[in-house]
Amino acid sequence: MKQDKKMIVTFLMPAVVAFALMFLYPVVRTVIMSLYEVKNVTDAADTWTFVGFENFITVLKNDTFRKSMYNIFRIWLVGGIITMSISLLFAVLLTNGIKGKGFFRAVIYLPNVVSAVALATMWTQYVFQSKYGLFNNIIRFFGGNAVNWLGPDMKFWSMLIAFIFGAVGYYMLIFLSGIERIPTEIYEAATIDGATKGNKFRYITLPLLRGVFKTNLTFWTINTITFFVWSKMFSPVDSEVSTVSPVVHMMNLVFGGKAVSGTFAGRGAAVGVLLAVCVMLTFAIFNLCIKDDDIEL
Amino acid sequence: MKKNNEYKDVARARRKRATKNFGTYLILGIWVLFTAILLGWILAASLSTSREIYTGTVLQFKTGLHFSNYADAWKTQNVSRFFMNSLLYSVTAVIGIQLISAPAAYVLSRFKFMGNKLLRNCFICAMSIPAIMVVLPLFSLASQAHLTGTRTLLIILYICLNVPFTTTFLLNFFSSLSKTYEEAAALDGCSPMRTFWVIMLPLAQPGLVTVGIFNFLAVWNEYFLAMIFASSDKLLNVGMGLFRMVQAMQTTGNMGGLFAAVVIVFLPTFLLYVFMSEKIIAGVTAGGVKG
Repeated sequence: MKQDKKMIVTFLMPAVVAFALMFLYPVVRTVIMSLYEVKNVTDAADTWTFVGFENFITVLKNDTFRKSMYNIFRIWLVGGIITMSISLLFAVLLTNGIKGKGFFRAVIYLPNVVSAVALATMWTQYVFQSKYGLFNNIIRFFGGNAVNWLGPDMKFWSMLIAFIFGAVGYYMLIFLSGIERIPTEIYEAATIDGATKGNKFRYITLPLLRGVFKTNLTFWTINTITFFVWSKMFSPVDSEVSTVSPVVHMMNLVFGGKAVSGTFAGRGAAVGVLLAVCVMLTFAIFNLCIKDDDIEL
Repeated sequence: MKKNNEYKDVARARRKRATKNFGTYLILGIWVLFTAILLGWILAASLSTSREIYTGTVLQFKTGLHFSNYADAWKTQNVSRFFMNSLLYSVTAVIGIQLISAPAAYVLSRFKFMGNKLLRNCFICAMSIPAIMVVLPLFSLASQAHLTGTRTLLIILYICLNVPFTTTFLLNFFSSLSKTYEEAAALDGCSPMRTFWVIMLPLAQPGLVTVGIFNFLAVWNEYFLAMIFASSDKLLNVGMGLFRMVQAMQTTGNMGGLFAAVVIVFLPTFLLYVFMSEKIIAGVTAGGVKG
């Protein structure tokens, strides 16, 4: 028994230290930091000035922050509806008993294992290019007018299209595993009772996927709230208003950027706390609203 | 007459089935075709001159295949450095994460003690904490420890930040292993610690491989931490290196080199996926891996 105690401590120690040092302490310090005026992120704690919720008020009044929240709200809502619809459609199509299921599934998931920077480069430097880009070539082939995909009007939507293309595969896999766990007897019984394909989807598949929907929506929410790489890749030099995300704004506040004069680590921490609160709120709302009493996940 | 109608019904049903499946193949086919064109064109562009890319004559290869783009990207544009950095970060991180997480996961899955449940919940909680909540204090910690501007710092971060996910994943894996192995080892007089290293760890190999692949992919494709903590050009990983090249594109105009760099960054994870896609996909659906 004594041996066990020694083993438990030595085996757990490194992981616990990693957790305390890299998660527990930083989270607490970020929360405290958001209540102080801190200029430089490396400033010692005794140089901080307590300001209460002033950082939060300043941040919430800021135009760039508001615009960035509006941007991720659109990504969350519009992008979410499109991504979930396509992923669910693909998952249903793949469970139709078609040939080459494994191949299709692997290709659709592929973008998820590739560096987002490389993927975004393919879109910005090829697909969306106005002269030789794929989309404009297709439009010209059908006799349409070329679109300025990376112009100020279209940039946000171009970014969203590219992001959705990369995201679909992951959510499809989760839907797919959910559908495959629904017992086939239920469908067989429905077939005997004369249910059509559409009926079965509407009255069996969808209700039984509630828990899976919750998982997917939770992941989608976290991914959009911390939206960063794609925003950076679609405006690599300056952060442009049309594609700015809260995390990009936060990084500009903390480490300086063209849009801000000086560094405001305290305000940056406030942005981080606000986003973390958003994440927690969505967890709570999804847990209250969607009961996953269906199939085990 | 009645029989004739029956035939018609059967034929109609067959046609209906064929058209329905045709629609399925069409939709999935378009998506796959688009992916293929995207990757195919990038590959072709990486072998063309910048002039050919700008004039839209990429797939004709009129001036031959320009493998020099790869040499240019690898040497002149320093992709070799980014590549070696990423390789170092990924490989050391994968090993380090497993050395920390596997023992912890084993103890949590096998021993009853106070705080077991609490620790499990801590790790699960840590998995959903966004990186933005931890990077600022970590930045000042790193500067206090005089670690800024070193590869060690990035390796430590990549290891520690992946511990909660890996521990949780391996915990579930160890729980699925039978306890009879340990009972047999105990009867033979093998100490619990030795049992872990000699018997249980090798048994956990499938789980270690899966989670190792995920950690490798995550660290190789990492961008956010590298942007904040890789303060000098010498430390950049492939993600940040490629980002810098895209930033410089407007002045250099070296499209061929850029696409060669994209292929170089893309290839390692792509090859890993080609050989391991079954394992990766099974891991995603089983373990609730972070997107």
